[in-house]
Amino acid sequence: MSGGHEDSGFVARRFVVAEFPSPEALLTGTRRVREGGYKDVDTHTPYPIHGLESALGLGRPKIPTIILFGAIAGACIAYAMIYFCNVIDFPINIGNRPINAPPANIPITFELAILLGGGSSFFGFFTLAGLPRPYHPVFESEEFRRASIDAFFLSVELPVGADADKALADVRAAGAMGTELVYESER
Amino acid sequence: MAAPNLSHDPLEPLPLIEGVQTDKTINDSLLDHVWRGAGKGWWMLFGCAVSALGLLGISICWTVYKGIGVWGNNIPVGWAFGIINFVWWIGIGHAGTLISAILLLFQQKWRTSINRFAEAMTLFAVICALLFPLLHTGRPWFAAYWLMPYPSVQRIWPQFKSPLTWDVFAVSTYFTISLLFWFLGLVPDLAALRDSSKSKVKRMIYGIFALGWRGSGRHWAEYKWSYILLAGLSTPLVLSVHTIVSFDFAVSVIPGWHTTIFPPYFVAGAVFSGFAMVMTWMLPAREFLGLKHVVTMKHLENMAKVMLVTGMMVTYGYMMEHFIAWYSGSEYEFSEFFRTRMHGPMAPIYWLMMFCNCVVPQLFWSKRARTNILVLWFASILINVGMWCERFTIILTSLHRDFLPSSWKNYGPTWVDFSLFIGTVGLFSTLFLLFLKFVPAVALTEIKELRHELAEHDAVGGETHA
Repeated sequence: MSGGHEDSGFVARRFVVAEFPSPEALLTGTRRVREGGYKDVDTHTPYPIHGLESALGLGRPKIPTIILFGAIAGACIAYAMIYFCNVIDFPINIGNRPINAPPANIPITFELAILLGGGSSFFGFFTLAGLPRPYHPVFESEEFRRASIDAFFLSVELPVGADADKALADVRAAGAMGTELVYESER
Repeated sequence: MAAPNLSHDPLEPLPLIEGVQTDKTINDSLLDHVWRGAGKGWWMLFGCAVSALGLLGISICWTVYKGIGVWGNNIPVGWAFGIINFVWWIGIGHAGTLISAILLLFQQKWRTSINRFAEAMTLFAVICALLFPLLHTGRPWFAAYWLMPYPSVQRIWPQFKSPLTWDVFAVSTYFTISLLFWFLGLVPDLAALRDSSKSKVKRMIYGIFALGWRGSGRHWAEYKWSYILLAGLSTPLVLSVHTIVSFDFAVSVIPGWHTTIFPPYFVAGAVFSGFAMVMTWMLPAREFLGLKHVVTMKHLENMAKVMLVTGMMVTYGYMMEHFIAWYSGSEYEFSEFFRTRMHGPMAPIYWLMMFCNCVVPQLFWSKRARTNILVLWFASILINVGMWCERFTIILTSLHRDFLPSSWKNYGPTWVDFSLFIGTVGLFSTLFLLFLKFVPAVALTEIKELRHELAEHDAVGGETHA
């Protein structure tokens, strides 16, 4: 693997990719690597593992707030739409029934709240995760294919100029079975 | 299967995952049916399904070409097969959401093996259901501005105070949310498919759908919330959808429709028929796709128990309808329930409904029936038939004889009505068979997570939960 062309100005991002024997080893390993001063640490597992949030030092999840605002927006849009159609744009007096009838507006208001709440959950998640993103440097590792099947991986992005050998040794000391240094490929 | 398993201690709960499994063996066994070539059985079923789909195409073309006069409905029976099929299909979809969302919130671990399967059914059933409201307009390409509040030059808006308009919003929201929920759950499984594929083309195709998923811990942290909150939103949604469908009838003044018990009774009926449909497909699928180690007897038993409970709710609904018809003192209501339904020209359908929905599920009190594959399969088919008969009874018998005997008229469906119905069964089966061929039928990632949880639980030696 090459580090990229000198003249194109492309600087390949470097990642240490390391496999751990079990989810528990990955948890302790992640903590230790982070304590060793590495910032851009991530884990790659086939299923969510209890306790990874704290091991990675993640804050509160943002999704619940996004959904709340999505749902409120949906309810407001729905009610505003019905109000505009029935009261402002084309009011029809039928037997002197109220033009704005809140009980009759509940179902559509509710449905649109769910629609936009659910939509913001889905699209909010993919936006936060930065997906879809077909290429990521960690995919350069052949072994990494097992991260979605039955293996537990740690990846550390190395800052420009950091000592790769030291990082590899540090990750191995944290309990990794195998380590590999991968470079982003230029495309 | 009927013989008792003597090696099994009756005091120990049945396992959710059978055999000694690792993440690798689960991965390989659950993806096996995707990588394996389609067998003869699959092609035969697919052939039947596509033929029925062709029938759907023909009957849709004929309906659109001639107009909806080719259907059997005519005044006083203004609603017939179209709405029967719509309600039936939507109901079938409801089991998927119940399994994937409500059982998830109640932390029922057994749901994990059947949720992907049932969610796919939800999607396909809702597609079949949506065809009928579109076609009944006669000019489906105009449906957009008849149904949606689209600012057309006519300046007239949909009637927002009508349950039919609520239905448009409820069902389209239901379809959209079910699709998002299903796909969100599927992304990690697609990544597993991408990474276990042998050929480059398959790797690329599944890679596109996997959206570059790399199992990142940062992603999982938000993903879990996104997934559980979508389940939380789907739960009131699924209850609201069939409630609103039942409003289509309940807010009218027709005897037999005008009743307040409709919303809960429709929701229970929906779950009842949905579980029956899941059972009908699950029994052959677990056999032929090699899913017996994750869809165990325990799952089948639990599904049978849910059918028993919802079947009794439906029975209670019938009893209440009849009781209120008598208790209200309204002679029209009384005549509808005790004369027209029981003794009228459509009485056989009524009694078939009573037999299939009230009597057949009583089999499931017996453990031997709950664990006998053949009994389960035939019972589930009878329940599907019974639930179709229920919608037929509610809709047709109520309409063909109302307040004024001079306007009574019998109803007869045409070949187009039957073809459309059989055609949607074909559409459903086609989509479902394609799903079974190209997508893992069981939520792989969640099964691995469950296995990990159960293994941890055993290691700690905690008490086991049934």
